[in-house]
Amino acid sequence: MADRRRVNGPVGATIPPVFEDEEVQTQETQRVTRSRAPNGIRKMYLKTGVTPSASGSAYLEIETSGKDGVSGLKLSCTVHGPRSLPRSSPFSPHIILSTHVKFAPFATKQRRGYLRDPSERDLGTHLEAALRGAIIADRWPKSGVDIIISIIEGDQDRETSGAQGDDTWDMMNALSGCITVASAALADAGIDCVDTVAGGVAALVKDGGETGTARIVIDPISSEHESIEAACCIAYLPTRDEITNLWFKGDMPDHDMGIYSELVQQGIQASKLANRVLVESLGETVK
Amino acid sequence: MEAPTLSFSRPLFAKLSPHPYLLRNLSPASPADSPCRTNGRAPHEARPVHIHTGSLSHAHGSALVRTGDTTVICGVRGEALPVTSIPQYRPKTVFDADNSGTGIGRGELKDYDLLVPNIELATGCAPQFLPGVPPTALAQTLSTRVYSLLLAARVVDPANLRIWYTPPKEGGDAMDADEEDEEESTKPQLMAYWVLYIDLLFISFDGNPFDAAWTAVMAALRNIKLPQARWDPDRETVVCSRANAAPLNIRGLPLACSAAVFLEKEHAEGGEGRHWMLLDPDRLEESLCREVVTVVVDCSSGETRLRSIEKQGGTVVGRELVRGFAGVAEGRWKEVSKAMG
Repeated sequence: MADRRRVNGPVGATIPPVFEDEEVQTQETQRVTRSRAPNGIRKMYLKTGVTPSASGSAYLEIETSGKDGVSGLKLSCTVHGPRSLPRSSPFSPHIILSTHVKFAPFATKQRRGYLRDPSERDLGTHLEAALRGAIIADRWPKSGVDIIISIIEGDQDRETSGAQGDDTWDMMNALSGCITVASAALADAGIDCVDTVAGGVAALVKDGGETGTARIVIDPISSEHESIEAACCIAYLPTRDEITNLWFKGDMPDHDMGIYSELVQQGIQASKLANRVLVESLGETVK
Repeated sequence: MEAPTLSFSRPLFAKLSPHPYLLRNLSPASPADSPCRTNGRAPHEARPVHIHTGSLSHAHGSALVRTGDTTVICGVRGEALPVTSIPQYRPKTVFDADNSGTGIGRGELKDYDLLVPNIELATGCAPQFLPGVPPTALAQTLSTRVYSLLLAARVVDPANLRIWYTPPKEGGDAMDADEEDEEESTKPQLMAYWVLYIDLLFISFDGNPFDAAWTAVMAALRNIKLPQARWDPDRETVVCSRANAAPLNIRGLPLACSAAVFLEKEHAEGGEGRHWMLLDPDRLEESLCREVVTVVVDCSSGETRLRSIEKQGGTVVGRELVRGFAGVAEGRWKEVSKAMG
């Protein structure tokens, strides 16, 4: 499908680099296990005001786990608004939020195209739900605000094969980063919110092969564990103690519903830690 | 009763009547003051440029370029294109040793689309670039300009992009081939090419996108490290090895320098009134100027070589001004190449 407005590559399909088998196997035996505490998140760097021409903007970077080939997360968010809605749209007594999340073509292991695919639209919908609960919408009737997130680098291990299904868990990490950075950009734009919302991920992981026990960790990286059974991404308002968005995925033993609420609690913990970083960086902006 | 006097703050004045505002700054009342632009720079002064390379881990080469408030990130990824996927492929039996004169090398880059640059502006980098719409005329123009300059300046040597295969001799091992022919062994065959996808993303936009984009492309190409590739005859595909990632052999360092022409009379005909050439224009200046000149020079070999002159939008800039501007471009080349390291 040739896009006439872009420079298209060759007509034939190109193959992404496939690496020698021996190398992949040695990488697997050298797998780095998680060195952080089960309730510790990775270091985050958050800065606002990177795009002066936008109403508000923020940039988030989460550190890599130190292993060669495992990238961290790099997100850039711009907020445009509140701006007036086009004349054709009907009257709305509250602000209309429109979110747009896009992976850069060089962000992930597989090169992505320029058109949004369903997973990116899904992230946008989750993000909108998370932020809608935090914005005071009634203050801005007949207005719209655009939140645009570009994911410059996704959280993905280059060597782990796609068959492990890491994509889903990386989407969760990306979503929690998106929520945090969008919240910072909204604050930078001066849009009234009841509270700062931050995202956190908690997962049920299994290490140690068949006999291993499952445990709950926060801020998981799929390459650090043998398998991730289930994960949950939470958008949480700390002062009001409210969850604005909850996304849960995976397999869980059905005999123990306690694990589910434990996962949610850990997700809230992760959110609170991310929120601390968020508030600190916003405090620096104000100064 | 006296009428109250109105006085505007500077940013308000800039928003309400930008043209007189810039004009007043460039032609100050007292001759002692030097002309300066609204952003405080002299007309021939460009913004300092900051370049960071190698920050992306999923790209084979990357660069982040910041010129004032314009920030662009470039990622280059290589993917393999087997010759069997090229429609109407005709193997070339003779390859120029250094690809200098006859342009056979350039033919490969152009015919098989081995370089794919694309510029994405719709990232919210400025209020007029919101996503959800197909690429605007500006984005398409920029992508095309980068593409044609890449081919015209011949910075990429197609010899680096070829992936060879030497069929083994009877009883011998398959070797990684190089281009020399040996009489006893079978000739190496060209089985695949590397295709370089050069993607540019604008994080922030404050005028002069072409210069920033071209600098990012050059920095990323110099930073790229392609894995060593060989053709695997059993799997009939290209297999790579992480062991010796090699950089590309980039020829020269052409760098771009742009200026906008600001006219004293907004709708002047035939060059009446004064004009100023503003080097490295920002968003406000670009919106007030119709005529833009871009010159690409390469001083890496010691002498200055002119790679490209582009001008559009007006008739003020003639031969003399372009000649003078090429001198300014030389100075800018030194600044930017120093930042590139």
